[in-house]
Amino acid sequence: MTCRELFERLSEYVDGELSQEICEEIRKHMNGCDPCVHFAKTLKTTADLCRRLPSTPIPPEVAADLRALLSAHLPKPK
Amino acid sequence: MTDEEALITASKRGDTAALDALVRAHQDRVYAFAMRMCRNVEDAKDILQETFLGMVRSVREFREESKFTTWLYRIASNACLKKRRRGVHDPSPDQELSLDELMPRPDSDGRKPEIADWSEDAEQALLRGELSQRMEAAIDKLPREYKIVLVLRDVEGLSAEETAQAVGLSVAAVKSRLHRARVFVRRELAEYFEGRGKSSAGNNPDDRRSRESNPRVLDQNR
Repeated sequence: MTCRELFERLSEYVDGELSQEICEEIRKHMNGCDPCVHFAKTLKTTADLCRRLPSTPIPPEVAADLRALLSAHLPKPK
Repeated sequence: MTDEEALITASKRGDTAALDALVRAHQDRVYAFAMRMCRNVEDAKDILQETFLGMVRSVREFREESKFTTWLYRIASNACLKKRRRGVHDPSPDQELSLDELMPRPDSDGRKPEIADWSEDAEQALLRGELSQRMEAAIDKLPREYKIVLVLRDVEGLSAEETAQAVGLSVAAVKSRLHRARVFVRRELAEYFEGRGKSSAGNNPDDRRSRESNPRVLDQNR
């Protein structure tokens, strides 16, 4: 496996989506290739950090406007 | 039947309280997604309203073939992409991300590129609150079609299959876009961490581009 072939599959690798055979080939390559090891590690870190980004909470006035808009469109109770 | 399934069933019968409960259960998630995609309150509000109006109007058509949240993300994603097509708001250029351009390449002597392992630094920087803004800026630079996939998959935590349902792509296309998007954001972070290392030793702006970012292939023969 070349660096290029490994590079193409790294996201699938860090997401655990590859077969055992391919994972074995990747590990064999990484055993002698520090740049690929570091690239894989920092790519996984990038994905993990995304998951931990803070979300913007809905402002109360935006929630209130949504409720007002929907109440005009909700079916009328019988 | 879960609580949510009960609410969906009641909503399909036109139960107003159930519809309202569904909106309340999902409004934070949809708003956070819309804000991440649009980066301004007015556009995010439009998308939020369009998503829940869509939900109220078509909940009867929801067939339980996907999760309810995925179905909502689909409505919200369509609203985001429609907004872009209308030209109302589009910070990201329409471009393809090429793996050849994103792959680190060897130096002029053909040696492998130096790739620093900054994963520990990133952890510390996140804890110190320094990294979020930098990451948001990197994600904002992504072309819209890549950004939506990365946001759904890595930020919102949908599976590849759910993301594919939400954006109407094949799973293979989602994986391909996700990989390019991640590599792009990783490169932005690498530049940040390398730049910080250099800044203490006096930073030449011409050197600020990462050593990795040379857009040729890493090693064709290995």
